[in-house]
Amino acid sequence: MSTPLSDWEVVIGLEVHVQLHTRAKVFASSPWGFGKEPNEQVDPVVLGLPGTLPVVNREAVEKSILFGLVVGASVPEHCSWDRKNYFYPDNPKNYQLTQKDFPVVVGGQVEIELPGASRNVMGEHKFIRIHHAHLEEDVGKLSHAGSGSLVDYNRAGVPLLEIVTEPDLRSSAEAEAFLRSLVAMLTQAGVADCDMEKGQLRCDCNVSVRRRGVEKLGTRTETKNLNSISSVRDTVIYETARQIRELEAGRSITQETRGWNAELARGYVLRDKEDAHDYRYFPDPDIPTLKISRETVTRLSKLVPENLYDRQRRYVEKLGLPYTAAALLVNDRALAEWFELAVAAHPTNPSGIANLVANDLLRDLAASSGSAGAFDESASTPVSLASCPIKPAQLAGLVKLTDDGVISKQQAKEVFAEMFKSGQDAAAIVDAKGLRQNSDTGELEKIVQEVIADPAVAKSIAEYRAGNEKAINALKGPIMKRTQGKANPVLIDQLLRKFLG
Amino acid sequence: MAEGFDIDHLAKLARLSLTAEEKALYSSQLNQILGHFQALADADLPATIDDARVVNEAALRSDEPGPVLGAEAVTRIAPASRDGQISVPRVVDDES
Repeated sequence: MSTPLSDWEVVIGLEVHVQLHTRAKVFASSPWGFGKEPNEQVDPVVLGLPGTLPVVNREAVEKSILFGLVVGASVPEHCSWDRKNYFYPDNPKNYQLTQKDFPVVVGGQVEIELPGASRNVMGEHKFIRIHHAHLEEDVGKLSHAGSGSLVDYNRAGVPLLEIVTEPDLRSSAEAEAFLRSLVAMLTQAGVADCDMEKGQLRCDCNVSVRRRGVEKLGTRTETKNLNSISSVRDTVIYETARQIRELEAGRSITQETRGWNAELARGYVLRDKEDAHDYRYFPDPDIPTLKISRETVTRLSKLVPENLYDRQRRYVEKLGLPYTAAALLVNDRALAEWFELAVAAHPTNPSGIANLVANDLLRDLAASSGSAGAFDESASTPVSLASCPIKPAQLAGLVKLTDDGVISKQQAKEVFAEMFKSGQDAAAIVDAKGLRQNSDTGELEKIVQEVIADPAVAKSIAEYRAGNEKAINALKGPIMKRTQGKANPVLIDQLLRKFLG
Repeated sequence: MAEGFDIDHLAKLARLSLTAEEKALYSSQLNQILGHFQALADADLPATIDDARVVNEAALRSDEPGPVLGAEAVTRIAPASRDGQISVPRVVDDES
């Protein structure tokens, strides 16, 4: 029910807050991380105690610029910070340091892929424009208990990049696809980990509806603090249906800020426009304007990984991979690079390598790490290849043995399982297990001649000679049986045709 | 000039309860103040960044974690605390 009524169009813009991958906070040297005891990751700068001054963390700035380069944004010559004033105990200073007039990232776009008609068909691609992204500080965490509230400032001051899209999204599916694509880009560039269970990515979702064909945007609502992709999807579906219902009943939409209750799967009003805060933004006097050198931009541009979908197109068009395998591999940069190392070692059969990686390797890695769901395509956590017992060149070796007809595809599965267990080379396992298919022509010729001479197969031979090509297959079984399955099927076929020809 | 604000809304945001006379007085004074800012906004000035306030990347901090105060010290300077957290009157507005 992504579009409840077809004569309405939904318009969505997202503000995505991402905690950047740094060790220290954005304006203070206090460390930060998930799961620490309350208020154990706080220093005087975080609290804004008298006499302290914020100093911007270089890594946070560079990660922000890197994000800009990943989405093809322009990196401005300067950026600066402003104070957003508000009185709420999640912020110890009574203002949040943010960027209003001169953000670190301006423009850019994110390519998204919508679901296809079926699993193995690629869906439509679309570009979603980024308005800007600004580097600010995260705020503390409140928990409400009885008559009071408790404040933990561990999260206060964590570097937060707020990525603001243009209102380019037109359905819950597009919002979902955008977030998946964004998460892949952020994690693959090492900008952020985007672990939603740890609150590292949170989203504000602006939704409005308008009659199809109408240009003017409808009144929008903003649903704040969504902490999962499914919550964003559900909010869009809920808010679209609610707004259309209101408008069709002749009522109007109030511009308001809303919350989302994921358990009840429903939204609620937080405050309307009349209560809108006046944040009294002004330039922060403690932090000078920062000049971003072009040398830094050049250096960081070298860290931009190949775009997810450029890689996917390359795999399909240049390497001849099926779409499903390509889509699976490119979702995880480490896995894609592992695959490419294997292809470099055996360049003639990328599909054969992709098949083993996408099926056997991922399955066994998941089983050994105990995270069976990790390769669900909806999961954003990359696979840990660090503990993979098979090296890319070894996998390439296995595929080469199969391609050269030394072992059968069925035997390759067996060898793969053994490689995953022992980390040995495919050839060593093949030899140790005596799996090498018999390509000794002399010995095989004898067996083939013996089998042909057997009266039991005389009928098949006659049929073959009469023009029934398939009849030759009836002779292969007995030969395989005599060689205990070690004979090279290609060679058997050649010899049979030679003697029967 | 036309008023660019709604005095009732401003009074509400400022948590002020104003009489009709006060509203008229403050509206007139605010209009004067806004008039001054409008004059500044109308001035034909280049949109440049104040060079005196610009630093380069050498002024940035390296990403090295430093010391922390510890929950005990953090909560000690707060008027009230509980379980290592700062205790405040119940607040419900879901900011951030």
